[in-house]
Amino acid sequence: MATLRIKNLHVEVEGKEILKGVDVTISEGETVALLGPNGHGKSTLFNAIMGHPRYKITEGSIFLDDVDLTNLTTDARARAGLFLALQNPAEVPGVINSDFLRAAVNATSDEHLSTYKFYKMLDNATKELKMPFDLATRSLNEGFSGGEKKRNEILQLMLLNPKIAMLDEIDSGLDVDAIQTVSEVIKKQEEKGMGFFVISHYARLFDLIKPTRAVVMINGRIVLDGDASLIKRIDQTGYEFIKTELGIEIEKEEANMNDVSIGSCAVRETIKK
Amino acid sequence: MKTIEIRENTRIDLSTLESEVSFSIFGKVPYLYLFNIKEDNRLTFDVADGVELHLSFFSQKTIKNGKITANLGKNSQIISYFADFSEENNRLDVAINLNDEGATCEWHLASLSSNKDNKDISVSIYHNHPRTFGRIDNYGVCKDEGHLVFAGTSHILKGCHQSKSHQNAKIVVFDDACVAKAKPVLKIDENDIEASHAATVGKVSDEHIFYLTSRGLNIEEAKMLITLGYLKPILKGFDDTVRGDIDALIERRLSHVQA
Repeated sequence: MATLRIKNLHVEVEGKEILKGVDVTISEGETVALLGPNGHGKSTLFNAIMGHPRYKITEGSIFLDDVDLTNLTTDARARAGLFLALQNPAEVPGVINSDFLRAAVNATSDEHLSTYKFYKMLDNATKELKMPFDLATRSLNEGFSGGEKKRNEILQLMLLNPKIAMLDEIDSGLDVDAIQTVSEVIKKQEEKGMGFFVISHYARLFDLIKPTRAVVMINGRIVLDGDASLIKRIDQTGYEFIKTELGIEIEKEEANMNDVSIGSCAVRETIKK
Repeated sequence: MKTIEIRENTRIDLSTLESEVSFSIFGKVPYLYLFNIKEDNRLTFDVADGVELHLSFFSQKTIKNGKITANLGKNSQIISYFADFSEENNRLDVAINLNDEGATCEWHLASLSSNKDNKDISVSIYHNHPRTFGRIDNYGVCKDEGHLVFAGTSHILKGCHQSKSHQNAKIVVFDDACVAKAKPVLKIDENDIEASHAATVGKVSDEHIFYLTSRGLNIEEAKMLITLGYLKPILKGFDDTVRGDIDALIERRLSHVQA
C-alpha cells in the first residue's frame, strides 16, 4: 500500500515563508479532508507536493513510500503516482484535449496504449463523468465552463490512475448533479485503492465522499489530525475552538497572502467583445 | 497579366506560372489550393457576388516580396488558411478589400521563423462598405535567431456602419536571440461598428508547463505540445491529401525545440 509522507515541510513563495513545518501522512485507500481558513497554506501545500517551481521547499521532505520526491521534477512526481486536480486549470489553446490525455497516459504507464484502446478508455471515462465526448476533441480547457474544467480534471485522474490524488476545490463551479457524479467517481476510485487529499469549503462534497480523516491547517502548519467529525464541527462552529482549546492564535489573512496561496490562476485573454 | 477563372476545386502549382496572376472566382464554394509560392508572387483574387471561397496556401520557399490582394463582392466570403513554412527572408503583404454589403473575410495564418529567418507579414482588411466583416488570426512560433513581425491594419471607412473587424496575433518565443513583434492597428472612422484586437508575444507560460508536466509529460514534451498548438490548428484548412505533408513538416521543423 502506497503512503505519502510529508515531514517538517517548509515552503517559501517569492521569499515569504508560507508553510512552516507541515507533517502529514496519506495512504492509498483513505480520503483525508484538508481544512483551514483561506490564506493559511492549503493550496500551497498541494502545489509544493506537486513540485510547482514557484513554491520553494527550504526544509523537510516528501516521500512516496521509500522514494524521495523532494528534489524531483514535477513530471517525475506525476510518474511516481501523484496527481493534483487544480483549482483553476489553465486554458491551453491549440493543444487538443485528447492528444494531451494520450501523451499523459503514455507518459505515466509502462505499456504503450493502442489508439483503439485509448479511445475506448476515453469513451468509458467520459460516459461515467456524463461529459460530452466533444470536450475531449477540443482545445484543452479553452472555452470550457467552470464545471467542464473540473470534470476534465477528474477525467485526467481516471485515465492516469495515480496512487495519491490531491483535489483542490474540485467542487467549486460544479452544480449539484455534477458534484454527485464526481463524488461517485471518487468513491469508486477510493474503493479501488486510490488515496485522496481533499480541499473544499463546502460540507456537501465531504458528505458525499465521506473522508476517513480530517486535518486542519492553521498558520502554515497542521494543528489537528483527527477523524471525520472535525468536518462537521468546523462546518457548524468555524475555527474559533482552535484558539480556545488549542491556544493557537489564528493569523489574519494578509492581502498579499491570498495572492501567493492560490497557485495557478488561469491566464484569460478576452478577445471577443 | 494572366487571369485564371476558378469555378470548381482547383490545385495550382504557382512555380509553373508567371509571378503576377489574377484569379477570378465564380462557382459554388470552390476550394482553391495554392502551393510553391514564388519569391515575388503578386496574386489577385476577385471574388464574385455570393461566392464562398475556401483559399489555402502552403509556402515552403522564400517569399522576398509577396503580395496578395483580394476584392470581395456582395455577400461573398473568403476563408483563408496560410501555412507559412518558408525559409530565409520573407516579406508578405496581404490586403483584403471588402467592397460590398455582406462581404466577409476570415484569415488564418501560421508561421514558423527559425534559424536566421527574417519574416515580416502584414495582413490588412479594408472595410469599404457597410455591414462587412473581417477577422484575422495570425499565429507564430519564433526560435533560434528568427525574426517574426505580424502587422496589419483594420480600416473601417466613414459610413461603413455595422461592420465588424477583429484581429488576433500570437507569437510564442523560444530563444533569447529571437525578435518577435505583433503590431495590430485599428483605423476606424465610423461609430456604429465592432472592432477589437489582441496581441500576445512571449515565452511558453510557466503555468501551462506546470499543468502539462503535472500529468507526467517531461518539460520538452510539454513545450512541444504547446508549440504545436500554435501551428497545428492551420491544418484544418487543408484537405486530406496535403494535411499529412504539412503535419509531417511541422513535426520535423520543430523536432529541435530545446527546453
